Amino acid sequence: MPKAKQPTAVGIFRDPESLVHAGETARRRGFRDLDAITPYPVHGLAEALGLKVSWMPRVTKTCFFVGAGLGYSFEYWTMAIAWPLNIAGKPFNSVPAFMPVTFECGILLAGICTFLAVLAAGRLRPAPNFKPIDPRLTNDHFALLIPHGVEGGAAAHALLRQAHALEVFDVER
Amino acid sequence: MSTRTVAAPARPAPLEEPPLYRPDLTLTQVNRDILAPIFQRPTKAWWACFACAVGALAIGAGIVTYQLLVGMGIIGIQWPSMWGTYITNFVFWIGIGHAGTLISAILFLFRQRWRTAINRSAEAMTIFAVICAGMFPLLHVGRTLLAYWLFPYPNQRHLWVNFRSPLIWDVFAVSTYATISLLFWYQGMIPDLATVRDAILKRPLAKKIYGIVSLGWKGTARDWHHYEAGYAMLAAIATPLVLSVHSNVSMDFATATAPGWHSTIFPPYFVAGAIFSGFAMVVTLTVIVRVVFKLEDYITMDHMELMNKIILVTSLMVAYAYATEMFMAWYTGNPYEQYRFYGIPFSSHFWPAFTGPTAMGGYVMLVCNCAVPWLFWFRKIRRSVPAMFIISLLVNLGMWFERYVIIVSSQSRQFLPSSWGNYRPTRFDYGVLLGSFGLFFTLFLLFCRFVPVVAVAEIKHSLRKQIGEPPASPAGALENVHA
Repeated sequence: MPKAKQPTAVGIFRDPESLVHAGETARRRGFRDLDAITPYPVHGLAEALGLKVSWMPRVTKTCFFVGAGLGYSFEYWTMAIAWPLNIAGKPFNSVPAFMPVTFECGILLAGICTFLAVLAAGRLRPAPNFKPIDPRLTNDHFALLIPHGVEGGAAAHALLRQAHALEVFDVER
Repeated sequence: MSTRTVAAPARPAPLEEPPLYRPDLTLTQVNRDILAPIFQRPTKAWWACFACAVGALAIGAGIVTYQLLVGMGIIGIQWPSMWGTYITNFVFWIGIGHAGTLISAILFLFRQRWRTAINRSAEAMTIFAVICAGMFPLLHVGRTLLAYWLFPYPNQRHLWVNFRSPLIWDVFAVSTYATISLLFWYQGMIPDLATVRDAILKRPLAKKIYGIVSLGWKGTARDWHHYEAGYAMLAAIATPLVLSVHSNVSMDFATATAPGWHSTIFPPYFVAGAIFSGFAMVVTLTVIVRVVFKLEDYITMDHMELMNKIILVTSLMVAYAYATEMFMAWYTGNPYEQYRFYGIPFSSHFWPAFTGPTAMGGYVMLVCNCAVPWLFWFRKIRRSVPAMFIISLLVNLGMWFERYVIIVSSQSRQFLPSSWGNYRPTRFDYGVLLGSFGLFFTLFLLFCRFVPVVAVAEIKHSLRKQIGEPPASPAGALENVHA
């Protein structure tokens, strides 16, 4: 079920240092589910906002082994069980000769699943009518997003202004 | 007893990296400069290049259609050389693709910041080169409409492909390589496509199209967090993949018993050759792109020089491989192998690779791959655009002939003189090669027209690392390329 929309304070910044600093302050003051929008990956931001370590490596690793296992099993089944053929006197289960395809199957599944996981993590899908919060955020500005309850709006706005945000406004997110 | 104090040696200052980009570049200017080719009408130079490329593609497409109608007899392959220019072209184009993955994945893992200027176009080059390469085995099998027989699929007679054959390894390696390269390239492009989407003000259809392909990218910290981890993972799996692909291609030859092919040096030798020719192609393309699209501030002379250094290093590796092959032919005492390389001294059979039907190819290969790149020992030449353009073209010519010599000369001179025969490509062979260049450049020119040719987000990230945060545009002023 999609999460219900909640009011979010947006502060626009000119530089990533102010953004990171504002993020740290907001977290210290007890705001949760903080997010930011930046035109490029800002290092240190994930830590400032308290994001957990990404689970992508686990997807890649698991899918690599699953893919390689499936690849090898398929080779074994076709060459040794379904229709065993004596080719140049090689054993039906030719382990070294099966390695390249095993490896490629592992890489193929790992790559496809990692890509799909990145799309799933960001809920990315074709969006012909996409409306950005502010088009400058893919250009040269940075935004901090502070979700707040009905009462927390004033505190979030005050925090953003204190952190020298250029503009502060509310959106439903 | 006197005490002497010894001054601690002064610590040397850390080596400073030279700046990669002009220090006064701003983030907005990066957007404006790199997105300009997308928003402006194409120049006459672009149209001229596009017309030539489509013309070459049309010639190739015409010949391919003709071949599908009348059969394989129109091209030069015949016993004993059943692998001719189609397989040469396949190996050549796969090799070209390798530099793209090297730049995008391996240099990424080594944290080489200079790659950001060229990785996008190099990855595009990989995709288009793999498309060209993939076309040739399909044409080479003769009955192209039955090429799906290469894949294991459930069929009426319960027959399966032979997984012990390197030709099947190749099918898996090349199709995996094409898929992973495409995903890696596309993922890297999503934030930049979103930048284009947000920069469009007036064209609703274009905005919709870029909205679809940028997949609603918002650029949130969470998105970037997973994106970066996913990108690193794709780079980590693309690195062994790229090495495996050309190793598999080389094993098409190395596992056969033909003299000159049956050699354990083939996998590293082919990988080095692939990177060598691939970098030469990247230099050829970036020389054109940076001039035509005025991107000299982003793809700087330092970038070009670094690529030329890699060409020089890989040229030395390739020359070393040639020398090893020659040495091993002598050292193993295998007469067939020796004949393949040296022939019978002082007779008409002297040095078949260099006097026989592939003689011209042998000399072109040696001069272009081992001698010409030595000019890059000179800094002046490494930094001269016309010189590097000509050298990169010669390197690719040499590398095409290298594959031609390997493939053709071993088949033409097998164990018994009764199975010797000469190979001569026909005009249709050359036409299809021309057509593949047409296809490659058509796709590349369309890419330059519709997608940012330099990775905008990565350049911004590098700029920030270089000079701290550059000044942003005044608050509220959205400076767009076409505004």
